[in-house]
Amino acid sequence: MQVLDTKMKHLLAQVQKPARYMGNEWNARKKDHAAAAVKMVLAFPDLYEVGMSNQGLKILYDSVNNRPDMLMERVFAPGTDMEALLRDYDMPLFALESGKPLTEFDLIGFSLQYELSYTNTLNMLDLGRIPLFTEQRHDKVPLVIGGGPCAFNPEPLAPFFDFFILGESEECLPEILSLLKDWKKEVTSRQDLLVRFSGQEGVYVPSLYRPVYRGEKLEKLEKEEPGVPEVVKKRLIRDLDNAPYPTAPVIPYMQTIHDRAVVELFRGCSRGCRFCQAGYIFRPVRRRSREKIIETACEQIAKTGYEELSLASLSSTDYPQLDQLIEELDRTLAGEQVKCNLPSLRLDSYSIKLADRLHRGKRSNLTFAPEAATERLRRVIRKNISEEEIFTALGDALDAGWQGFKLYFMIGLPTETETDVEAIVDLCFRIRQYFRRKAGRKISISVSVSTFVPKAHTPFQWEPQLPLADVLARQELLQQGFKKMPGVDLSWHDAETSFLEAVFARGDRRLAQALELAYSLGCRFDGWTEYFSMPLWRQAFQETGVKPEYYAQRRFAYDDVLPWDHLDCGVEREIFIREHRRAFSSDMTDQGEPQ
Amino acid sequence: MIRIRFSFARSETLKHISHLDMMRMFQRALRRSGLPLAYSEGYSPHLRFNFAAPLPVNVTAAEEFGEVFFSGAVSPEQFVSVLSEQLPEGLVLTGARIEDHDAPSLPSLVTAVLYRATLVVEEGCRKGFSQYRQALEHLLGREEILAPRTKKKKKKAYVNVRPYILEAYFKEPENDSPIQLQMLLQAGSRGGVSPFYVIEQLEKELSCDCKYEAYWELHRERLYKEHDQFLQPLSEGM
Repeated sequence: MQVLDTKMKHLLAQVQKPARYMGNEWNARKKDHAAAAVKMVLAFPDLYEVGMSNQGLKILYDSVNNRPDMLMERVFAPGTDMEALLRDYDMPLFALESGKPLTEFDLIGFSLQYELSYTNTLNMLDLGRIPLFTEQRHDKVPLVIGGGPCAFNPEPLAPFFDFFILGESEECLPEILSLLKDWKKEVTSRQDLLVRFSGQEGVYVPSLYRPVYRGEKLEKLEKEEPGVPEVVKKRLIRDLDNAPYPTAPVIPYMQTIHDRAVVELFRGCSRGCRFCQAGYIFRPVRRRSREKIIETACEQIAKTGYEELSLASLSSTDYPQLDQLIEELDRTLAGEQVKCNLPSLRLDSYSIKLADRLHRGKRSNLTFAPEAATERLRRVIRKNISEEEIFTALGDALDAGWQGFKLYFMIGLPTETETDVEAIVDLCFRIRQYFRRKAGRKISISVSVSTFVPKAHTPFQWEPQLPLADVLARQELLQQGFKKMPGVDLSWHDAETSFLEAVFARGDRRLAQALELAYSLGCRFDGWTEYFSMPLWRQAFQETGVKPEYYAQRRFAYDDVLPWDHLDCGVEREIFIREHRRAFSSDMTDQGEPQ
Repeated sequence: MIRIRFSFARSETLKHISHLDMMRMFQRALRRSGLPLAYSEGYSPHLRFNFAAPLPVNVTAAEEFGEVFFSGAVSPEQFVSVLSEQLPEGLVLTGARIEDHDAPSLPSLVTAVLYRATLVVEEGCRKGFSQYRQALEHLLGREEILAPRTKKKKKKAYVNVRPYILEAYFKEPENDSPIQLQMLLQAGSRGGVSPFYVIEQLEKELSCDCKYEAYWELHRERLYKEHDQFLQPLSEGM
């Protein structure tokens, strides 16, 4: 921060973890406001330590700041203590690099990673003294835009955002800022600018479309301007090797969730798990070349001093000749004392072998996600792995010296019965027995169970979420089952939080009012159990006449208009229908690769 | 193996980070510097690096110490010039020298630390100097000042920290100068007390209820070691 006035000093002296708000990190880009033709602040609606673990944020930070005429700073959701202080002191929310209030930027871009950060988004606008609704903002107020996975169904946020970018923004964002720069020299209205933006590939301007409802149902979306596209297509980086990628990322002072060098191996995923939104919206698979990966890794290590390197993707062991890549990385980084790791391991012997090679030092925990405990249900969700494979992989990992395992499951999946839930208990019991026989040492097992949330742009987008009462009953079933199993640690996601997530994941514009009211009632950090309040949300839904169950628990028909039908993620509707039908058909033989 | 002991100052811009943040920041700066670092042997090798005493969050410092081991030749001058390029605004290396290999570790030397607390008054709170002096007299007159210590298994225990306040006095103010409190506090392996805790207790003696109008700025002036039963600045002999 450049100017620390007394008020700010006072604030930082009182707040918890002041490092969240101080900026000034190594590799942070402090650019001159007077010299920048266009200024943007990237807003992440969660705490600093969460936001700074997001790789997308780092990619965008570089892609904009590498342009001499542009500037991008960062702002994160203030903790509840900082919010109280800002309001007490009557101070606006400020960007980290310059300490300037958000109103001094031309554009505020929110990274929308999960639905449960929506109240934080509104809170940040309010703390930044930006009118919440687009229609209240005059020409001098910064534009408010959004991107990230939630932009694929942004309808509940429509009245608050000037536009959204669909898909990968690292090329699109500088283009948009360039247009904005030109517009600033002209004297035309904001409306004119938005119409201009709507012509850009990947840009969705919600105010140029008007939903029409018949009864409860969404009937269609009408265009407010003749020229705007019928369907907005997502942006896609075709060649990862030539796309911008950070080589000198900002190094946080405080411990963040992921605090390490990250090189992305590839984008997209060829597995096609039917519940997984990332698996669909990031298609097709695009790889970074081995040479480029090694070059980027070395440069990142040299410019950050990080002691850990993550080879990231949605399913890293699917990278072709991964063992060769690791070997070369090993050779190139020899002597640098860098630990490599592979997130999102698959449960197979090949993956275990690789993890084994990568992991020097103490072997603590390996994480796997079988998602469902019966082969039948795993076929339904297309997580095709046999029980035999699971046990072989676990056995290999045990031989390699791993001390503990974390297993992820989901409940409430389509076609799931209580038998499938009991099977989770049974499978873990057998894994524990197997470990006891085989290991002769104490192996820790922790089991984490989340609740299925149907997401837009997946084959399960038409499926209802399991009603709350049933989710609670199945969680109870798990608790009873695991009670008799000492040494296995069970945790589960709060059922109501998952319910709220489902409401917004498949929501439409009629939710906006409820969202605004929930925010005014004090809802913040809805993804954090210590802050989440369902009673406040119930009140907000009730007072705005919204039936949340309608969104979360309704089964959509193929001919229903979905709130996100005008947004094209690149996967044809026929593929979703085919995959949806296959999930329920008994014939599982034809499971050809997607794309 | 070369062992380098160095001193540094931390200013306003960097005072909000924790001891662990400082450790990470220094180690990453060292790794970027390209100097020939020595790593520990064993399963997960780590840098051989240490500070004399953890520096609390929200405290600036004039003269802190650290040490680091190198596997190859490094001169103190080279160390300062190369590492300085990798350190952020707010941190300045003020000196370095080569230390004997078998010299005692830095943290084991520190027995006391000297803080200066400055009262920054904004609107409202205008308590007089005499009130503060009286409150301090009361505080120091107490036989026991209990501070909570969270022990293992979350059992709360209390420790009497009064003996750890070796000395505390207000500087005689001149004209408009702010109120300044000097505190010499025990530190190191034999136990210590946070300067913030002492101030909190002082405020309680004042029964000061103004939450926002005044606050204290803390500065650590010096670290001390023991020498012939007397305290001697750690910088002595550096």
